Amino acid sequence: MTHHPVRRAIGPTGFLTIIMVAVLMLAGCASAPLPPTDSLNDARDAIASAEQAEARQYAGAELEEANRHLVAATKAVEAERMIEADRLAKQARVAAELAIARTEAAKAAIINRQMGRSAEALDEEMQRQGDQQ
Amino acid sequence: MKTQSFLKPFPGSKTIVVILLSSALLTACAMSPTSPDGSEGVRAKFTELQQNPAMMTYARVELRNAENAVQLAEQPVDDNALAAHRIYMADRMLEIARAKGESRMLEAERAQLAEQRDASRLAARTREADRAHADAESARSSQAKAAAMSSREAEELQRQIDSLEAEATERGLVLTLGDVLFATGSSEIQGGTNQNLEKLVNFLNQYPDRRVSIEGHTDNVGSAAFNQTLSRQRAESIRQYLLDRGIDYRRLAVSGYGYERPVASNDTATGRQQNRRVEVVIENRE
Repeated sequence: MTHHPVRRAIGPTGFLTIIMVAVLMLAGCASAPLPPTDSLNDARDAIASAEQAEARQYAGAELEEANRHLVAATKAVEAERMIEADRLAKQARVAAELAIARTEAAKAAIINRQMGRSAEALDEEMQRQGDQQ
Repeated sequence: MKTQSFLKPFPGSKTIVVILLSSALLTACAMSPTSPDGSEGVRAKFTELQQNPAMMTYARVELRNAENAVQLAEQPVDDNALAAHRIYMADRMLEIARAKGESRMLEAERAQLAEQRDASRLAARTREADRAHADAESARSSQAKAAAMSSREAEELQRQIDSLEAEATERGLVLTLGDVLFATGSSEIQGGTNQNLEKLVNFLNQYPDRRVSIEGHTDNVGSAAFNQTLSRQRAESIRQYLLDRGIDYRRLAVSGYGYERPVASNDTATGRQQNRRVEVVIENRE
């Protein structure tokens, strides 16, 4: 057998050690951190939606924050700090969602103001015409 | 009672051990890991939103999600970065709940605003109907008034132009001030005032956006240089007259053409008299 000379050369303890080291190395490979792809994609989608909703105009700071977190997440992936990357991606997503929510609230407020004004204008006009009589 | 009876069989050193153990356990309880710093902030924010009935109505689901995040943030952890991350997430989720609640509340208010507007419109229509008859009458008369006004204005302008005896040309209205205005060889305006010039002043006061070009001309008696100077001086004295009467200097331009631009023959006395003149060109409005 081809193994025998090796076994003889390093002895049984040494052989066991080698096997253990190999197993450990394999385990190390298996648990090599993977980038948080889902979180990153979710963050990008949320930011795209925010931009679509004109968040730049109505919630610029929140959108900016989301982008900042996404950039930091990408850097963390490059540095293979995957747990940090995942957290940053999630923060980017939640910030983008807040940007969307605030944009919608701002738009809703504008619509209501306009509606209120048009009703007021009508009343005022009536008032004025009434006064003229 | 139960504890005491349980302790009784172990007197002496064992009791001390038990007491020590239980006190150690108690200490462990008292020192139980606390919620991360900053989690009180999100808890307070949550409580505030929860106490707002509008939030409970319009953002119930979002608020519940945020509450879960707050509870997670309150869990003790060794990892400071994780604690900060959880607090951040909880805070933003609370803000999302707040914003969504606001949006939905505004949307709900919209129905009321629309009602209000409809009521205003209805009131408007009713009044309009009530008044329609009287209004139609007065509207007709006011419209007629407006039309009369604008045509009167146009008439007025024409009347003014006519009274100036100005000639409408491509360059504008040309008002010719004849030779009689000046003594021979002089640029002094005779008599001090002149009816035509007064009319011009009135006109310029009435139409303050019109600019004026004052151009002097002479007959061909004398040298070119003399005539050029004289024509310029005569134009200048018209300008001075207008300035004295309060016309803005920026509206007045002056030039002297000497005998370069005769309007009649210099061979006859009448022709020469016609050539000795100052033309005031009132420029057309742009």
